[in-house]
Amino acid sequence: MTENVVAVQHLVKTYGKGNEKKFTALKDVNFTVQNGEFVGIMGASGSGKTTLLNILSTLDKPTSGNVLINNQDITQLKNNQMADFRGREIGFIFQDFNLLENLTAAENIALPLSLQNVAPKEIQPKVAAIAKRLSIENVLDHYPTELSGGQKQRVAAARALVHQPAILFGDEPTGALDSNSARELLETMDSLNREDQVSILLVTHDPFSASYCQRILFIKDGEIGQELRRGDRNRADFYQEILDNLGTFAE
Amino acid sequence: MLSKLALSGIKSRLKDYLVLFSGLIVAAATFYMFMALATNQDFLGKNSMIGAANTSIVFIFGAILLAIITLVYLVYANSFLLNMRQRDYGMFMMLGAKTSKIAQLIFMETFVLGTVATLVGSLIGTGLAQIVAQLLVQQLGLKLQHFNAFYLPAFLITIAFFIVLFILAAIWNSRKLIKAPVLKLLHSADQPARMAVKTGRLAVQAILGVILLAVGYWAMAAIKQLQLLAIPVALVTIVLGSYFTFNATFIWIIQFLKKNKNFALKGLRNFTLSQLSFRIHDYTRMLAMISILFALALGAITVGLGFRNDMSAVTSASTPYDLKLYTTNQAIDQQVAKLNTTSKTAYSFKKVGKKYYYNIAEFEKTPMYYMHYSGSTGEITLPTLQRYQAKDYQNVKQDSPAFDSAYRELRVDDNYEDLPNYAFVDQTKFDQVTAPTKQVVLIRVKDFGKDRQRIGKIESLQAQALPAYKEILSNSKYASAMMATALYSGMIFMGFFLGISFLAMLASCLMFKILSGAYSDVRRYDMLNKMGTRSQVLRRSVAKEIGILYALPGALGVIHVLFGLQLFKILMVNPYHGIWLPFLIFIVLYGLYYWITVLLYRGIVIPKVEIDK
Ligand SMILES: Nc1ncnc2c1ncn2[C@@H]1O[C@H](COP(=O)(O)OP(=O)(O)OP(=O)(O)O)[C@@H](O)[C@H]1O
Ligand SMILES: [Mg+2]
Repeated sequence: MTENVVAVQHLVKTYGKGNEKKFTALKDVNFTVQNGEFVGIMGASGSGKTTLLNILSTLDKPTSGNVLINNQDITQLKNNQMADFRGREIGFIFQDFNLLENLTAAENIALPLSLQNVAPKEIQPKVAAIAKRLSIENVLDHYPTELSGGQKQRVAAARALVHQPAILFGDEPTGALDSNSARELLETMDSLNREDQVSILLVTHDPFSASYCQRILFIKDGEIGQELRRGDRNRADFYQEILDNLGTFAE
Repeated sequence: MLSKLALSGIKSRLKDYLVLFSGLIVAAATFYMFMALATNQDFLGKNSMIGAANTSIVFIFGAILLAIITLVYLVYANSFLLNMRQRDYGMFMMLGAKTSKIAQLIFMETFVLGTVATLVGSLIGTGLAQIVAQLLVQQLGLKLQHFNAFYLPAFLITIAFFIVLFILAAIWNSRKLIKAPVLKLLHSADQPARMAVKTGRLAVQAILGVILLAVGYWAMAAIKQLQLLAIPVALVTIVLGSYFTFNATFIWIIQFLKKNKNFALKGLRNFTLSQLSFRIHDYTRMLAMISILFALALGAITVGLGFRNDMSAVTSASTPYDLKLYTTNQAIDQQVAKLNTTSKTAYSFKKVGKKYYYNIAEFEKTPMYYMHYSGSTGEITLPTLQRYQAKDYQNVKQDSPAFDSAYRELRVDDNYEDLPNYAFVDQTKFDQVTAPTKQVVLIRVKDFGKDRQRIGKIESLQAQALPAYKEILSNSKYASAMMATALYSGMIFMGFFLGISFLAMLASCLMFKILSGAYSDVRRYDMLNKMGTRSQVLRRSVAKEIGILYALPGALGVIHVLFGLQLFKILMVNPYHGIWLPFLIFIVLYGLYYWITVLLYRGIVIPKVEIDK
């Protein structure tokens, strides 16, 4: 079954209201992400990647256009519904979206479940399961300051996935990591995608990160300019193609 | 260029600056108002029951306390300013601004802000002192002598005190910002303190705290035995006791709640608990201090109002009758008719030379009221209102208490130097005395306070009608009421003033302490928002967290006051009488501060959902 988890049509985002200076960050964006797909979005700085992700995750409202996530039109949601939707359907890992440093790793991971009023006795097994899946079961009692950068992002990933959201969004999740930790995190995401059918939308401008994706959308001046598919190739070849493409795309 | 940048920084944070600025103004105004009282020897001397020297000691003690609170307050306000500005200044440094230039800027900013706030605050303080004094005089019927809203020495002291503090703060700020590494300024998120909880130690602390509190409370109750020693003993034990109890119970309760997964794992509770435990060490000291200040402030207001109760109690104890009519005319009758009378009795007498004759039959028919003194020792007790019975007037000697009190109430004379000379006789004998029959009317009203002014008017009408007998009025209930008012007004005023000043200071301290943590919370609330927390859930979490920080010292402070009032048993009739009123006033004001803090905190941390469709 190839149903779309994300479907974006004619999405426009203009900043500046009233008589403020207007700036159109997204002009006419159209794309879909299928269930279980691992999609990357690349683009130069200021091309509108974060803007797009904020709209997809109901943190910001579009000026016009439709956004369906899990077949629900999120542009029609009210404030509380937006928050609930975020809590239920979306998982986040951001570069600076770290953990709450006054909660332990386990408490951080449990938070989305508590917020959805999951019964306390069901919370602990779920936290334990996702922690095992991400190999962080022995740091669960640590506070964020007692974790390495890579561990932190894996805890963040655990927190993003513990409530089984429809899709995982990442905005430069490897941005603050050294190359080993970055590779580990990407491999974890890759395996989550393959083995647990987690849909992932990854925003990055790092070609290495992007090479883990099955499909890459290039965004330029607020529009999707080009699309690359990995197909059956191995990652090294795909990486090369991305590099070549960036060279031509940037012109 | 840099100062332009700095100015634009101020503009973008205008709201926070306004909060800080108004906070400083409140501090300066309070300090000024207090000093206007404390340094005015004339006022203190004229308005206190315990003498100018003693009152000065109370006020010097109060002034020192207030200075310490102000100092603490400025430290918190200053850390709020620092927290607010350090990112901006860190940025300027990243851009390559010279540190000396930055230091100069920070110094100027702190100093100018402080000086302007002090000046404005002192002026507002003058106005407020005037308003408060007038309000109290009108509402409580007080009489104040030698009270000046504008008092130059107080003005100078306030300005000097604050400017010195602001210079120190300015130096501190500029040094602190310069010494800190730029990166730390940019990412100055607090590090969590892992709570190393040793249950044994907590238990010892809790027990020690309770014992200390008990000793303190006992000392206050035992003021008769301990004398002046009670106060320092109570102060030391209660301060330490508050700290230990807070530390132990606060940490223990949070631990307990966090361990109880059924409680903690619901909604944002775990986050709220962690927020509290995150700042625990910072807060316990502060909260212990606030609980003491709270007690002092609430105590001052309670005692002030207590004196007011005393004032009316002392007045009503002076004589059972509210008004004595010994002459009458049309104007007097008119006024008397308007009184809300509960009993009105006429007694006749005849006067031959210097001797008064009274008719026993009249007393048997309507026996008189009198004040009964039970005569216990030490504590101030009030006499109770009682009434003689008919048999009290039968077959008793002429100098019996019943006849004595009747004579005292009924005598109408123009010369009170003479010794009593009276005879209580039966109806036949009374009729035989050859002299005109005169009458004295004794009136009791429902509420003396309400009819006070009219009674005063009737008395002066009587004095006009029969000037020779004016002296009768000098020990009327009205006269004692006027004396009591004069005596107690100063005390009531001081109690109120002290209470309100302390409250304003302590609540602002708490407010800025909490608000200065808000900037490091912005990121946390932003994360929770991204994770899909409804904004009303976030708002509730803020209200709860701050609510606990306000409620705990408040509750302990109330307990302190309830025990502390024991101290005033030696000065007042019943310090606990009608304490709901000061408690209510206080809790409303305190609650107001709580609400303002919540609103400001929310303004800082709750992410705004942008909707521009
Ligand atoms: N709140 C806002 N108001 C006005 N303009 C904005 C706002 N947020 C972003 N922009 C503008 O929209 C454009 C796209 O910004 P966006 O943050 O989406 O870029 P990005 O692709 O994420 O860049 P980067 O790779 O640097 O993170 C930029 O030109 C930016 O200046
Ligand atoms: Mg971005």
